[in-house]
Amino acid sequence: MELFSNLAMGFSVAGSLANLAFCLIGVLLGTLIGVLPGIGATATIAMLLPITFQLEPVSSLIMLAGIYYGAQYGGSTTAILINMPGESSSAVTAIDGYQMARKGRAGTALAVAALGSFFAGTVSTFLVAIFAPPLTAIALKFGAAEYFSLMVLGLVMSVALAHGSVLKALAMVVLGLLLGMVGTDIYTGTPRFTMGITQYADGLNFVALAVGVFGIAEILRNLEDETDREVMTKNINRLLPTRDELRQMIGPVLRGTGVGSVLGILPGGGAILASFASYTVEKKLSKNPREFGQGALAGVAGPESANNAGAQTSFIPLLTLGIPANPVMALMIGAMIIQGIVPGPNVVSEQPELFWGIIASMWIGNLMLVVLNLPLIGLWVKLLTVPYFVLFPIIMAMCSIGVYSVASNTFDLYAVAFFGLLGYLMSKLRCEPAPLLLGFVLGPLLEENLRRAMILSRGDASTFVTRPISALLLLMALGVLVLVFLPQIRKRRDEVFTESDA
Amino acid sequence: MTFNLTRRAILAATVVLGLAGTAAAEFPESQITLVIPFAAGGSTDVVGRIVADRMGQELGQQIVVQNVGGAGGSLGAGQVAKADPDGYTILMGTVATHALNPLILKQKPYDPVADFAPVSLLVLVPNVLAVNPAVPANTVQELIDLAKKEPLAYASSGNGTPLHLSGELFKSMAGVDITHIPYKGSGPALTDVLGNQVPVIFDNLPSASGHISSGKLRALGVTTKERAPSFPDVPAIAETLPGYETYSWNALFAPAGTPPEVVAALNKAAVAAMADPAVAERMKEFSATIVASTPEELGEHVKAEMAKWEPVVRDANVSLD
Amino acid sequence: MSTKPKDSTDLAAGLLLIAAAAFFGWQTMGLPIGTSLRMGPGYFPMVLSIILFVLGVIITLKSFGREGEAFGRIAWRGILFILPAPIFFGLTVRGLGFVPALFFTTLIASQASIRMKPLHALVLAVAVTILSTLIFSYGLGLPFRRFGPWVQF
Repeated sequence: MELFSNLAMGFSVAGSLANLAFCLIGVLLGTLIGVLPGIGATATIAMLLPITFQLEPVSSLIMLAGIYYGAQYGGSTTAILINMPGESSSAVTAIDGYQMARKGRAGTALAVAALGSFFAGTVSTFLVAIFAPPLTAIALKFGAAEYFSLMVLGLVMSVALAHGSVLKALAMVVLGLLLGMVGTDIYTGTPRFTMGITQYADGLNFVALAVGVFGIAEILRNLEDETDREVMTKNINRLLPTRDELRQMIGPVLRGTGVGSVLGILPGGGAILASFASYTVEKKLSKNPREFGQGALAGVAGPESANNAGAQTSFIPLLTLGIPANPVMALMIGAMIIQGIVPGPNVVSEQPELFWGIIASMWIGNLMLVVLNLPLIGLWVKLLTVPYFVLFPIIMAMCSIGVYSVASNTFDLYAVAFFGLLGYLMSKLRCEPAPLLLGFVLGPLLEENLRRAMILSRGDASTFVTRPISALLLLMALGVLVLVFLPQIRKRRDEVFTESDA
Repeated sequence: MTFNLTRRAILAATVVLGLAGTAAAEFPESQITLVIPFAAGGSTDVVGRIVADRMGQELGQQIVVQNVGGAGGSLGAGQVAKADPDGYTILMGTVATHALNPLILKQKPYDPVADFAPVSLLVLVPNVLAVNPAVPANTVQELIDLAKKEPLAYASSGNGTPLHLSGELFKSMAGVDITHIPYKGSGPALTDVLGNQVPVIFDNLPSASGHISSGKLRALGVTTKERAPSFPDVPAIAETLPGYETYSWNALFAPAGTPPEVVAALNKAAVAAMADPAVAERMKEFSATIVASTPEELGEHVKAEMAKWEPVVRDANVSLD
Repeated sequence: MSTKPKDSTDLAAGLLLIAAAAFFGWQTMGLPIGTSLRMGPGYFPMVLSIILFVLGVIITLKSFGREGEAFGRIAWRGILFILPAPIFFGLTVRGLGFVPALFFTTLIASQASIRMKPLHALVLAVAVTILSTLIFSYGLGLPFRRFGPWVQF
């Protein structure tokens, strides 16, 4: 049982007093910074990265990993409390989590998110430990054609994110895709839609977009009629979920963990899809899908689990191949190199203490998170009793700092204002921001892989169906499409004038 | 109003005093910002942070690293070009910011020669030509032969990067056509070559080295004139294609107009930092060759690099708006 | 015509989508389209602009013939003060420096609410500035200049 001896070694490394302390500091700092509005995992790591450079290699990576999932957790907290996601994954949590908070169920939403994340983290940590090498082999089977088909599947699923008009959701996806095109075309270097502003050459900043269309739009909505409406209901019910609610979350958490673990392995942006995919699955399986978007428990439990599972398994390509799955992982690679570790397949064999120590610390970190955060829920919920007119200027200040700290680019701040206006306009026109956001994230990946696949196949479009994995993904996309539109068509026949026009 | 006047008086006095006093003797009085024109975690960032840490000790002032990524390094470099020429804002320049971008970009955000005061050329970093082990080519010559027989593609970290142009130079010198597939950075490009989605790659030696030593990639040749000390078994491409030479480099620049004594102080600190055995050890692990040149040598180097790349850029017909 | 019922929200949404599609389509004009083997930078955006245009037209057409919800109130005061706050921060963070820029940003944003009294706004802005400076500048050592060249002696 090599696995157990390896895990034992890992726990002895991660369990040393110093490393426990660094893990705790990382998780704590990550949560505290991540919980500030508009500041997600990437911004937090960018801020805290230099701190870790002074440490031992294992300690610095343990601390960085702690910051990463701590920040991700903190980001979900702000998504639930004030509709301010700092990452693409918490954008999904915001949809139903924030509605739960408005209905006085913030405590339940936060607890469900914490418990779901912990369960997913535990399972996927063991997946990483047991299956890392074989899973890597699967990930390498994904070429441009497969990624393109995966993104198509993701886009098809995104329509299910909407709870209103499907047509408008589609339009929002397409608009998001177009916004994702802003910046330099990687194949020819031609700038597109940048209006000659070099600062947008690398595209629009995701945090600016998310903060704008979700957070700032929400602030503006809340300022519409201050005199006669409270933003939050004052009667906040109990903090912890009831037995019944716990039972309700079992299914979503299990499915979310599965979806997230699988997608997290893919280095080309699979983890981005995890929480979106889980949301779609839950909405499709739910007995009352109308509840989604109005504060469905499963809409928080599923995506949060998927998100955390994906966050853990995205360490697989990093640890076994030395390949970053996302910008945060790229920072981790930098941290390894600075520590004199050559990232690559040799890390497992040459630095087993490092490899297994990080894996063990992931679980420890998740445990710390849940222990830290369950008691904190009371505090977070109390925050909601702060008068809104005091809260939102603070939110604006934090957003400005957070967005600026990602890349020291002042144009990102102008983008925040623009997207705040756009988001407000969208909400007035009853267009939803989540499909737009997904389109924005997937757009560049979709185009990049489509073009690459076409070049590699020398212009033969059949590459998408002759490659088995790609064909399977496209079939799944077709299946989802049928599932989404069939009920709509049937409903149209039944009731000609529905308020939700399909 | 009186307040304003007083403040202006103090301001004037400070300026006069500052001019009268010897700036070099006091430099640096406060922390220095080192702008790294790429995202944190990349190879330039790694070199920059190691050097900044050691240089800060030499100067007795902290050097704060600020990553200003974007537009292939042009944003960060442009920011330093416009900064106050006092030595408190310096740039970690690269072959991209000071040779390739100025040649490639149609709109030039800065002039690599006129807008900067060179401080020191720190390191040279070799690039490497590697293939997936499934590719039936064990030498550069075999790859050239293969490329003449069947269509091949090579991955690079992006359009207009030193790696792309290393590939283009290779194609023109070897007289073969290999399709260029650009990626967003080294990581995704490596992934596709490891998975044999794309057979060939030009990459920085540091980022590929782990995969080469583990056998997941087969290195056919390094791009430097001589073999890299860290991989003595890998031949130089120049052994097959005489005259082939490319490499990435990192150098410190201050804005043009920085007082010579300040440049000298920065140069002294940089040279001392690079002489530190711990730094040297790190650079060796990183496959980087330490140069630690004088400011004049760096100035010459920039001009030589621009002259070298100009025909390559023109022949490859790469241009960015 | 005016008596005919229409969903003015969807009508506006549809028209705006058409406008957005037209804008992106117009911007794509100058970009090479390429072939499906070697797609140019304009290929994908052009396809998307067309899809968006079609969707906009359908939404517009469907908005006729049924009643929709009203727009509701518009948060003009919010738009006037919330949106300029990050812009102000962006314009001044390098020149004024982190501390003054953040102070004014908070102050501007706080004016968006009619409930905020001037004195309270001032206190809040000072508190936010002090705490943020302690956390971000001193605590995390972010490379912001606390006071920029515009306010230095």
